[in-house]
Amino acid sequence: MAGTTLIPSGDFKTSYGADTTVFPTATSRNAAILGVAVLLAAPLVFDNYWLNLLIQIGYLGIAALGLNILVGFTGQISIGHAAFFGFGAFASAWLSNSFAIPVALAIPLAGVMTTAVGLIFGIPAARLKGLYLAIATLAAQYILQDFFARAGWFTGGVAGTIAEPFSLFGYDFDTDASYFYVVLAYVVVMFLLATNLMRTRDGRALVAVRDHYLSAEIMGINLTKYRTMSFGISAFYAGIGGALYAHYLQFVSVEGFTILFSIQFLGMIIIGGLGSIMGSLMGTAFMVLLPETMQALTDSLSGTVIDRALNLKDSVAFLREMAIGVVIILFLVFEPDGLAHRWKQIKAYWKLYPFSH
Amino acid sequence: MLTRKTALLATVAALTFAAPALAADIPVGHLADYSGATSDVGQPFGQGVADALAYINKQGGVNGNRLAVETVDYSYQAPRAISQYKKWASGSGKAAAIQGWGTADTEALTAFVAKDEIPYYSGSYSGHLTDPTGAAGHGKGAPYNFFYGPSYSDAVRAMLMWAADDWKAKGGQGKPKYVHMGANHPYPNAPKEAGEKLAAELGFDVLPAVQFALTPGDYTAQCLTLKDSGANYAYLGNTAGSNISVLKACDTVGAKVQFLGNVWGMDENAMKAAGKAADGVVFPVRTGAIWGGDAPGMKTVQEISAVSDSSGNAYRPVHYVAGICSAFYMKEAMDWAVQNGGVNGPNIKKGMYQKTDWVPAGLEGVCVPSTWTDADHRGTNVVNLYRAKVTGPTEAAVPELMKSGATALEKIATIEVPRKAEWLGW
Repeated sequence: MAGTTLIPSGDFKTSYGADTTVFPTATSRNAAILGVAVLLAAPLVFDNYWLNLLIQIGYLGIAALGLNILVGFTGQISIGHAAFFGFGAFASAWLSNSFAIPVALAIPLAGVMTTAVGLIFGIPAARLKGLYLAIATLAAQYILQDFFARAGWFTGGVAGTIAEPFSLFGYDFDTDASYFYVVLAYVVVMFLLATNLMRTRDGRALVAVRDHYLSAEIMGINLTKYRTMSFGISAFYAGIGGALYAHYLQFVSVEGFTILFSIQFLGMIIIGGLGSIMGSLMGTAFMVLLPETMQALTDSLSGTVIDRALNLKDSVAFLREMAIGVVIILFLVFEPDGLAHRWKQIKAYWKLYPFSH
Repeated sequence: MLTRKTALLATVAALTFAAPALAADIPVGHLADYSGATSDVGQPFGQGVADALAYINKQGGVNGNRLAVETVDYSYQAPRAISQYKKWASGSGKAAAIQGWGTADTEALTAFVAKDEIPYYSGSYSGHLTDPTGAAGHGKGAPYNFFYGPSYSDAVRAMLMWAADDWKAKGGQGKPKYVHMGANHPYPNAPKEAGEKLAAELGFDVLPAVQFALTPGDYTAQCLTLKDSGANYAYLGNTAGSNISVLKACDTVGAKVQFLGNVWGMDENAMKAAGKAADGVVFPVRTGAIWGGDAPGMKTVQEISAVSDSSGNAYRPVHYVAGICSAFYMKEAMDWAVQNGGVNGPNIKKGMYQKTDWVPAGLEGVCVPSTWTDADHRGTNVVNLYRAKVTGPTEAAVPELMKSGATALEKIATIEVPRKAEWLGW
């Protein structure tokens, strides 16, 4: 993984292979395995409300990771990510509805279809940079959104389409508790895939394109290939995330995939940390949990002395929206490197405790 | 200190254990659009439903069981409605019934509510929801969907029947031209086919549909199209907010068209906002009386209104009164269910079939007599057509405008749409 971790003095690596392991230390590997094991028990402990939030973090996190590969690792920009997310959702529903393909197979196939679409819309990336690229991806957002509203054979038009529940060996994963495992499995696989990608030749090429495209080209990296490929990979992740969303909600409608949603994805990776695999998940968790926390706060506010004194009543709901905006701004001011950076600092603090200075 | 802590602990424990004692509460979900594209009419309707349910609780609930109502604003986003529904449909607090709203979400939920057996009272009157068995061949059927009022399709049929007579009465020459207007969205689209088919049968020239978004905007281009096409009758499929924009723009460009509004397409607030551009719009009103009317049931309506307006000064638009009816049909079906095996989805559904020409107690003259059967969910096929009249400036507040007569709703016809079997389900 990119970035430096504090390694105790004397613990050095003797090969490049040892320097690029999936987990930097044995402890971090064990912690990750333990984390997944704990999550496996989550449906036994949490009620549907919390499971729903965890599932959301799961499928949005996968899509956010895709965007982070594009923006954080390759240095491109996309404000059409929600459209790819939507394409994956519709594609998976279409495959399982029209061709009776089992949902378990339709989800990865939808990912492949979305990759193809992502590659097409990635073509401008080979020529454009910065703001110009941003506007080109905006086209993807609008073209796809309009396509969803009109292509009745594919999406059910403006009325939307029903998606079958995920089922495996005759067992329907149609409750929150059971679907949680499906999403968890995908999260583990997709995040491991991304971590591994960054350890490969191709992954390093993507980072080189981001850091200095001219140097990268001089070193023999095919810019066109890697920029377009990055769009493809990003779309693949978005497609898988979208397909998981479709079979969770069991209904897909064009309304869900607006540009606002695309911007929310950007918010997730910026808050989580650009160029950080783990940060993608952290940022998603932050963006999913923040509105819920604010909701709880405003709920506890309504009916109290403050509410009556200021005569808030119906405005409490709007207070929530404003508070979310304020928290995001404050976060960007005081935590510009994202949650992943803060997490590293916390770890460093405890590693060096009590001699952190 | 210890005793105080013990007392506190005991209270908490008592509350925790007391909670299941309230289990007789009947969970009811209420989806409303207070902030989305249709919030202009979603607010008064949602308020009507919420006030009526609160009033029912004040009067002792359903046979002494309180209705535990959870109102959620879903901003007219179908995916949000569905994720909310999933919360209501699962777990121990499974909703006994749901008061819903939009067409996109209601139609998307049709299969879910049928599977979960939760009666769903929508604010959508899409014709697709009227066929409980699917026998009519326009889909799989919507066994658990109910709504109070004429379906969108029957409403547009009634207005076309009126328009055909109106054309003759005015001495119009040749074929009148009819055009469907609205957003490309399930709600305005719902009655499109029904309207265009009947229009053709009645001898109208059916023009290509004109699109305008559900949100207010500049619709001058659409009005110029309308003017150039020479349309005589135009159906407005959207809600009041965006219709106001169209009415104003068409007034400006001078398109002389008789507008036919959807049930949600016109109300007292819209007349005020659109001013003289709203003058002459014909639209269906779902209740037998409007605010300020003297039907016997209006006394109950005023008591319900006092739930959220203790001053008694608020003016309640037509949608508010319709919301009350929607809540009360559900309540009386629950009353029947209590006596016949308990309040659950299948029993409430059966409760809806018990009466014919049914008016909820206390709302006589307000709710139009309705009949639901297990083969036909067209509650009523009687459509009361009103004409919006705007005779003066509309700067004053709505209650004053309605009092002074600067804006008025004038009943022009009652059309009984034939209950044809081939018109079921679309």
